[in-house]
Amino acid sequence: MRPLPILLCAAWLAAFASVASAQDEDLVRRDHLSVQLVAADRAVVPGGTLDVALRLVHDAHWHTYWLNPGDSGLATKLAWTLPEGASAGPIRWPAPSRLPLGPLINFGYEGDLLLPVRIALPATLAPGDTFSATVKASWLVCKEECIPGDASLSLALPVAERAQPDPDWSARIGAAIAAEPPRVDWPARIAREGETIVVAVEPAGAELDAATLEVFPLPTQVMATARGRVAAADGGGLRIDTPISDAFVELPAQVDLLLVDGAAGARRAVQVSAAAATAPLPSAAQGGDAGAAGGGDGVGLLAALLFALAGGVLLNLMPCVFPVLSLKAMGLAAHAHERPRARRHGLLYLAGVLAAFAALAGTLIALRAAGEQLGWGFQLQLPWVVGALALLMLAMGLSLSGVFEIGGGWMGAGQSLAGRDDGRGAFFTGVLAVLVASPCTAPFMGPALGFAVTQAPGVALAVFLALGLGLALPIVLLSFAPALAQRLPRPGAWMQTFKQAMAFPLYLTAVWLLWVLGRQVGVDGLALLLAGAVALAFSLWQLGRTGGAWRGVGIAAGFAGALAALVALPAPGGAGAAPARADEVAWEPWSPERVASLRAEGRPVLVNMTAAWCITCLANERVALSSDAFQQRLAQTGTAYLKGDWTQRDARITEYLARFGRNGVPLYVLYPAGGGEPDVLPQLLTPDLVDAALTRAAQR
Amino acid sequence: MMRIASLAAGLVLALGSVTVHAKAQVGQPAPAFTLTDSNGKTHSLADFKGKTVVLEWTNAECPFVKKHYEPKNMQTQQGEAKTAEVVWLTVNSGAPGKQGHVDGAGANAIIASTGGQQAAYLLDASGETGKAYGAKTTPHMYVIDGEGTLRYAGAIDSNPSADPADIPAATQYVRNALADLAAGRPVAVANTQPYGCSVKYAN
Repeated sequence: MRPLPILLCAAWLAAFASVASAQDEDLVRRDHLSVQLVAADRAVVPGGTLDVALRLVHDAHWHTYWLNPGDSGLATKLAWTLPEGASAGPIRWPAPSRLPLGPLINFGYEGDLLLPVRIALPATLAPGDTFSATVKASWLVCKEECIPGDASLSLALPVAERAQPDPDWSARIGAAIAAEPPRVDWPARIAREGETIVVAVEPAGAELDAATLEVFPLPTQVMATARGRVAAADGGGLRIDTPISDAFVELPAQVDLLLVDGAAGARRAVQVSAAAATAPLPSAAQGGDAGAAGGGDGVGLLAALLFALAGGVLLNLMPCVFPVLSLKAMGLAAHAHERPRARRHGLLYLAGVLAAFAALAGTLIALRAAGEQLGWGFQLQLPWVVGALALLMLAMGLSLSGVFEIGGGWMGAGQSLAGRDDGRGAFFTGVLAVLVASPCTAPFMGPALGFAVTQAPGVALAVFLALGLGLALPIVLLSFAPALAQRLPRPGAWMQTFKQAMAFPLYLTAVWLLWVLGRQVGVDGLALLLAGAVALAFSLWQLGRTGGAWRGVGIAAGFAGALAALVALPAPGGAGAAPARADEVAWEPWSPERVASLRAEGRPVLVNMTAAWCITCLANERVALSSDAFQQRLAQTGTAYLKGDWTQRDARITEYLARFGRNGVPLYVLYPAGGGEPDVLPQLLTPDLVDAALTRAAQR
Repeated sequence: MMRIASLAAGLVLALGSVTVHAKAQVGQPAPAFTLTDSNGKTHSLADFKGKTVVLEWTNAECPFVKKHYEPKNMQTQQGEAKTAEVVWLTVNSGAPGKQGHVDGAGANAIIASTGGQQAAYLLDASGETGKAYGAKTTPHMYVIDGEGTLRYAGAIDSNPSADPADIPAATQYVRNALADLAAGRPVAVANTQPYGCSVKYAN
């Protein structure tokens, strides 16, 4: 036989072998896991590189270890046998998880894991050759018991002029390489303070979620394996306090650490080098304690209260709230010289806010206690409430536009409906602020309120009141600090213009509420309410007139018309109600049965729980869940995309939310391919985050 | 309720890890203990005042323990200790129902089958002593001097693996620590990262 046919035959065999190796049948069975050596290419080029990966498919609840295994265990090791001139790089570890074993903690991996390695190929290879590599992989696989295992795995690839990516593995290995935490040069210092190891880090240009942040030290004998305590540091950055390792001897000059944050499945990780500190590290900022020590995947009470407070402050800037409150602030500025009255008004305003929140929370808690499947935002699931809020926005807008004025005189009317100059006006402003704020679910409020309603009534009430306190805080501060109030622009004729301009955010809020209403009751119901809106406008126009024979009748008839429209609104889900369909991405309606059947097929499933009145949900869909790239990634990974619409009450969705410790939307749950624990994505999505999560879920 | 339960569990976990974060520190008095051995005899650390004591955490079914018992590395060092009048105590903190948990008869069967040379095999099913020392792995080794001061804590040797073939090339930390103590020297390597299976404490 001549050499050429032999070579061709060998190449064909090698190619066949590599195709076959892409299949799961090539997994080698060992105790409690299956193992395989996979390559990103089907053919290699001389002098190039080849990305390969050790694939470990763990039995459920069994795990192998990261390079620092934690309290016990042993890192997986690879020993390569390669042809002359070829060399293998180190394992490119993905970020590990904390795996508790009784009181001990291990750092490792479960599920379907790829450990990528880059092999540099010798330039002396020639097309037509076969490149062979053998690795002896050894690992310790543990559930509670541990079993050491090893396997000798080989691959043989033809050498060609051009690399030929393996469609089965190149994307998955590429994603595994991308999952290696990138090294960043964030300023980081480490020091021993008694029995604690303190890390101070300044995330440059990145937001770290202190609530979920975890630190994994690469070296042993520095810090204990328990999750550290994360707090904002005085002067910026974060401070992480971790107990010292029992085996601590001395602090190395430099300690490499992984910083990992984000919910499982959407974790982001970076590697930083912390230099031994030469000066004392900053202490934790007062009240900046954001992270929980130890386990517990939920939000602690203190964190929930802080979230609620911050969320409340943020609410002041929402388009539905800002017009009302900015005018209130102007009013305070005008009365800054009358300190006792300003203070009294501030306190009455606070009382109004807190009373409204207490009433809202009390209703929610009482209904839940009575067995109703309700969650935060429940008030917007009732069409008549949405309609009433739309009419309220319209009325306030008309008032600001000057169609009518309550209380007369521009000083008082500078605050219009909510701006009555007496104490009742201040209290009413507080109630109104809560009413208009309720649709604007600030991102911070979701977790805090989700936490709240699952708690004992006292705790739930405390969280709602913290939210109210946050909402009231700016105005209360202004009323108590005249110096601050005087910094606001002096009242003058310009306020008239400002007041009129502020009408427009309110009109827009009304439009948005009407859109939500249209989703709930269809176009007929919407037209009915619009007729009611006209009647209301008529009534208010009459109110604004100074005389006229039939003025009283006009006002009454208009109000009656608006009220009748509200009462006559059809039940939710009535004829013509359109399902929420915000984009063209292919999705299916959510149902528990559909999730179960898709999972049984082994497909990854992304569940999106949304509602038309949820701004965060809509923003996420715009930003991260409607792009072409997203659609392509869905198709590529075979991920089924299911949407549950909570615009109207739905007990099954409420129950599903509760399973994930939530009581409101948005909720994004990603089930990995081939079964396994679902991951909950954060409430604020970015395209990169979604892409990474989908890629990862498809790999399991 | 679920949330409260998980918070509570997290808290317990945190406290648990604090507990396992040892009260035993090299250079400090070793935690006192009183345990019953495989023959029903009670031993306290205070009983051994004036003698060097070695504590060896064990679980006969753990591959890392087997690594040192099958080629007799552990028994050889136990025998050396006996000759040098060092008290070698094997401790089992495995909780009932967990892998490696034994009663007195089970422990004696292991001593017989392995040819163990330890002075006593102590039963710590509650895990109290293990947690006091911060014992994390099997094996996990401690050396206590005649004054009751902890002088070494960590691994049996320098080669974290489950392969007996790695023993000859490894530095035997416990043997070296005993030699340092016998010679009146400070222990050169006094604190190392232990390796092995997790100690099977009760959940």
